[in-house]
Amino acid sequence: MASADLAPRLAAYAASRMPGARDVEVRDLSRISGGASRQTFRFRLTWTEAGAPRERRMILRRDPPASLIDTERRVEFEAYRAFFGSRVPVPEMIWLEEGTEALDLPFSVAEEITGFEAAPALLWTEPYLASHESLARNKWTILGEIARADPFALGLDRVMPPPDPVGCWARELDMWEQVLDEDQAEPLPITRAAIRWLRAHPPAPAQKIGVVHGDFRTGNFLYDRQGGIHGVLDWEMAHLGDPLEDLGWSLNPVWNFKRNLAGGLVPDAVAIAHWEAASGLKADPAAVHWWTLFNCVKGQAIWISSARAWIDGGNREPIMVLPAWGMQNPQDRAILKVMDRL
Amino acid sequence: MKPDIPAVLAELAGLVARNAVPDVDPAERAGALSLSAALLGMAAEAWDGAAQRLVEENKALRALLSDAGDRAGRNAWLSQGIDDDLRVSVLAAANARLRSALIELHAAVEGDDAPDARALETRIWEELRLSTERRQMSAALA
Repeated sequence: MASADLAPRLAAYAASRMPGARDVEVRDLSRISGGASRQTFRFRLTWTEAGAPRERRMILRRDPPASLIDTERRVEFEAYRAFFGSRVPVPEMIWLEEGTEALDLPFSVAEEITGFEAAPALLWTEPYLASHESLARNKWTILGEIARADPFALGLDRVMPPPDPVGCWARELDMWEQVLDEDQAEPLPITRAAIRWLRAHPPAPAQKIGVVHGDFRTGNFLYDRQGGIHGVLDWEMAHLGDPLEDLGWSLNPVWNFKRNLAGGLVPDAVAIAHWEAASGLKADPAAVHWWTLFNCVKGQAIWISSARAWIDGGNREPIMVLPAWGMQNPQDRAILKVMDRL
Repeated sequence: MKPDIPAVLAELAGLVARNAVPDVDPAERAGALSLSAALLGMAAEAWDGAAQRLVEENKALRALLSDAGDRAGRNAWLSQGIDDDLRVSVLAAANARLRSALIELHAAVEGDDAPDARALETRIWEELRLSTERRQMSAALA
């Protein structure tokens, strides 16, 4: 669907969800590049209500035919909604449409948080260089707050099945190994060696079953020049599990951006200390090591599945090739590093 | 690299042609072309050394399987191969067979305390490390 067709259909949908609104229009609709798991657009919604003109900036995220990450959009939507208004900053979710009548594909609409940056590359330039310690404190404190949250009190267990604390590692490893089995286009000797090690050395049971964001890393939050964080994004892989899983993903060396620092920001030990202080949980070194290596395997599965989606023709967008070509070797090297084999 | 470079280049050719049409949304065009440029850069870097990398790696893997002797089991015959067809697709297919055999060999020796198994595993890890060096690209994302 071209943007020219999309705008009036989106406006019609919005009008149907806003009984008190008149003259609803979608303006300045434009696609945001880079979204691999959803087609993402920004736009201004204008309308008249009680005789007064109104306007709101919004984000439309629409499912592509095949995405880098196959996820349930309701899980993502409910995760955002659960944390809205909490110490974990997230944009407000406005509509979730799981049908295909309105825009041909399922979609969600959220408020746009404006005035901040998300791109990691900017962080290594002025004026952001002085903000790294502050940004790291905020980053891992927020991740600790996610770990501290009670998913049952938030009602998230209604859309995310809670695993057994003893077996949650196996559930995650089984799932991502299956993705590799189904999607690999060539043998993966380093990843397979890592999986054998993980199965032979399982981690201690989870201290609690918590909310796992699933993709919490530098690049998936909105930051300012002082190191403040104003929006945690990309909850597509949110689920319930061991909170250490998120810590391990944030310590995956591919998110160091070639700087040998957690998230490209601070030493691992500093990041872990912030997380422990905020979460109230302990980061047992052996368990953190296990979850970091697991997340290297998970990362490889994601890069492999993007290649598979392209090869099978489900999604021929160049964004699907970029991680397949640009991340598989760094991820292999990250596995070797975590296994002390580099 | 997967997807294969020729298939991606063919797709990018079509993408660039579609973006040459005047009425493409500027933001979409910018996104498509910047990503295409990044991929073209990666393809250019991989192109020259692709055959050399595969020949070198296949040779190393065959030597490993040969030295493994009976431990290579049903894959021992792969050590006798020769890369006399230098098309990248043919070399890559041989590489895939050899790396599958390496996975089996690695799994077989890593739980074995015999000195020859320990020595073989050390060599396997060294070969795996070297394999990541052969595949490194300056344009890697991380």
